[in-house]
Amino acid sequence: MTALAAEQRSRTLTLEWRSDGSLWAVRDEQERAVSVRRCFPWSEPARHLSLRDSDEEEFALVRDPAELDPRSRAALEMALAVAGFVFDVTRVLEIDEEVEIRRWRVETRQGPRTFQTRLDDWPRTLPHGGLLIRDLAGDLYHLGRPEQLDRHSRDLLWAFVD
Amino acid sequence: MSTLQQLDDSLIARYTSQPTRLPAELRRQIEHAWHGAPVQLYALADLDQGLRLSEAWLALGPRHIAVAKRESDGWDVRSFERSRIEAVREAPGLSANTLTILGTPGEPALALLRYTHRQRRAFENIRFVLEEQVQGHARELADGDADRLYADSVARPIRDAQALVSGRQTAVIRRLLGYLRPYRRQLTLGMAAATVITLVSLVPPYLAGHLIDRVVRPAQAGTLSLARAGTIAWLAVAAMAAVYLIRQAAAHVRLRLMSILGEWVARDLRAELYEHIQHLSLAFFSRKRTGSLITRVSADTDRLWDFLAFGVVDVSLSLVMLAGLGAVLLTLDWRLGLVMTLPVPLFCWLIYRHSEDITRLFIRAWRKWSRVTDVLSDTIPGIRVVKAFNQERREIGRFGERNQDVTAEFNRIHRSWTTFWPLLMLGVHTMTVAVWVFAVPRLLGNGAQLPVGTFVSFLLYTTMFVGPIEVIGQMARTINRATTSAHRVFEVLDTEPEIRDVPEPVRLEPVHGRVTFEHVTFGYDGVRQVLRGLSFDVAPGELIGLVGPSGGGKTTIVNLIARFYDVTGGTIRVDGVDLRRLETGHYRRQIGMVLQDPYLFHGTVLENIRYGLPEAPLNQVVVAAQAANAHDFITRLQHGYDTVVGERGHTLSGGERQRVSIARAILHDPRILILDEATSSVDTETEREIQQALERLVAGRTVFAIAHRLSTLRKASRLFVIEEGRLVEHGTHAELLAKPDGKYRYLYELQMQLQ
Repeated sequence: MTALAAEQRSRTLTLEWRSDGSLWAVRDEQERAVSVRRCFPWSEPARHLSLRDSDEEEFALVRDPAELDPRSRAALEMALAVAGFVFDVTRVLEIDEEVEIRRWRVETRQGPRTFQTRLDDWPRTLPHGGLLIRDLAGDLYHLGRPEQLDRHSRDLLWAFVD
Repeated sequence: MSTLQQLDDSLIARYTSQPTRLPAELRRQIEHAWHGAPVQLYALADLDQGLRLSEAWLALGPRHIAVAKRESDGWDVRSFERSRIEAVREAPGLSANTLTILGTPGEPALALLRYTHRQRRAFENIRFVLEEQVQGHARELADGDADRLYADSVARPIRDAQALVSGRQTAVIRRLLGYLRPYRRQLTLGMAAATVITLVSLVPPYLAGHLIDRVVRPAQAGTLSLARAGTIAWLAVAAMAAVYLIRQAAAHVRLRLMSILGEWVARDLRAELYEHIQHLSLAFFSRKRTGSLITRVSADTDRLWDFLAFGVVDVSLSLVMLAGLGAVLLTLDWRLGLVMTLPVPLFCWLIYRHSEDITRLFIRAWRKWSRVTDVLSDTIPGIRVVKAFNQERREIGRFGERNQDVTAEFNRIHRSWTTFWPLLMLGVHTMTVAVWVFAVPRLLGNGAQLPVGTFVSFLLYTTMFVGPIEVIGQMARTINRATTSAHRVFEVLDTEPEIRDVPEPVRLEPVHGRVTFEHVTFGYDGVRQVLRGLSFDVAPGELIGLVGPSGGGKTTIVNLIARFYDVTGGTIRVDGVDLRRLETGHYRRQIGMVLQDPYLFHGTVLENIRYGLPEAPLNQVVVAAQAANAHDFITRLQHGYDTVVGERGHTLSGGERQRVSIARAILHDPRILILDEATSSVDTETEREIQQALERLVAGRTVFAIAHRLSTLRKASRLFVIEEGRLVEHGTHAELLAKPDGKYRYLYELQMQLQ
């Protein structure tokens, strides 16, 4: 493992955005359009980043972006913003139960949003605090600090927060 | 517009706050730019490049693609020809996906769109068509499907999660009450009995007041002779006894009639539901969770029984009781009547609020309870892993912590209701005290006259308020629970089977077993094709091996042969007749299936072998079991063929279950047999025995066998290599091995190397 890690580190990986709108990874003689996948999106979002090609094969694993040159790091950060995007909830306006689903009306940093969850799907408590809600379509809603939301939001969320 | 599309449109409008379709003026603008060519597919890109919610559309036509962005003064539409597309790339994210449509390499992307998962299905439809085009497989799309496909892709997650029935809550309740119609007589008697209970309950307090004012006091004052007073008093006591007798007789009639009637309705619902489920197509079962369907037949119908038997009567009679009490009290003495009746709406509201608060507490408790059951469902099935990693202490700790947590929540609920109800009763008692406060001066001669008997009646009536107030306070919850169950039941009943017989279906007698595919295409949704123009002809008695990579379409082929689904294009013929024209039930009796994970029902080995032919003689059962190499192990079992195999046959090994299922197929004697990975999950020795059994089974039938272990298909008449929904090679084992660059040869050699 140590030899393998050393060998991987010795290869130079560079990243750049090209005119086709894709992030390209170049290593040794190979180059590939890639997308970024965080290995630990909630435990350690800034490290261990998997660069995957269009066939979902891993092209490279970036253990720490600090190992990259500044331009590659900047390119990676742009890609991370898209790959790690989730709705950031700033207010909870309404939580309502209907037949078999729970309906949420919230305000997010991205704009107002209505979504639904199954009645038995509970918000997930994240390792570093905060809540994560997954709606029926698979979109994610992050509540970073529920205790700092306004009183109405806190009242509505009370049943879902420890 | 179809009912389903109307439903999808209403779901999108109600739940997503996004347009139900491509804006009409934008569509016109795009089609105008395309010289009248129609929009065939479209999707909403709901994120802009800065990842803010926005509105942009991607539209696909027969020869063009358009990207439209909303500007302050209208739509900015950019179109380009599909022929310029060289590649399509999708980068999925946690909630933001990016679709890049690429032209000439090195040039800027033709289009780059960002969208949430809510839009992903609609984008996948477009991506699929474009990828097909890039790979050289032109895909013709039907005009006029764009709105339906868009609505389906956005609304489907909600539709699949929720039991949806058209109509409002009142319509659902009316429909539910319609199930009482066949039992009108019992219902009328039950309601009459309940009305009697309500009315006669009002009599004893009145009699008590009457006795005091008209008999006891006049007798004490000497204005009524003792003999006369005694007679009247005894008559009143007898009347009281009669009232209680009538009340309990009516209670007996009501309880018995309504509970039996409720059971009948629940039975009718269960039977209708189960019969309907049996006729539904496999597509329905793949959309709904098995547990949810079982709950609908069991728990939901039970909850409806409770509502119909008691809820309907309790709620309506509580309303009658409260109205009756109010009227009687106001008639007896309007001043005291007002003291008693004015706070009643407040009490109802307080109970309603309390039930809302308790619901919130319950949500919290259920959430914590699910964490307890998570530990149980993790560790009990996985106990070997827990022990192997010596994690017992940690798991005990984890369970203990969660157990403690949930106990605290349930205790919070107990604290809430044990505080509320005594306080509510205190409120009722306060009303009683208020009645005393207003009554005492009048009893002592100050103010309007108040007879003692009237006052006593009042006091007795006050005790009767609590029950109806409680029922009415919880009425909303009772009705909500019942309508939720009704939705879940009616949703199934309203689902139409997708496979239906034509008006005069054909019966093939006998079935010879020729199976012909003519340019068959099939997709589980409207766009992505699993089978793409598949054609072949299989003669009666041929054994066809279906091979190829997973996801290539092999299982879909056998599902279509069994008519679990209908083709979306082309035709499947059996003995020259279109499969859709055959009588499904009769045709399926000619089909046999042996699956990778054979399904045995809870029952004896005998019942399982005879499942397709319950009347088959025992000697035929033994012959079938012998042919399936099952007779030996069955007779070694303590109860032989009468051994109960348990749920899903769990008391037998995988190989034993497989041999029982082969015996079942042999006895069933099908003309067309489907073997889906029948030997893939057993050891070599068992495989040999199953192979022997299968060889006996396949003789004289048309057989379609799917197998990953290619060596098991050496004896096949022909092998079909299926890849990406196409027949890419066919021939005998030897013929295909002789092809130097053949796909089959490559797969075969790969397996030989692994062995």
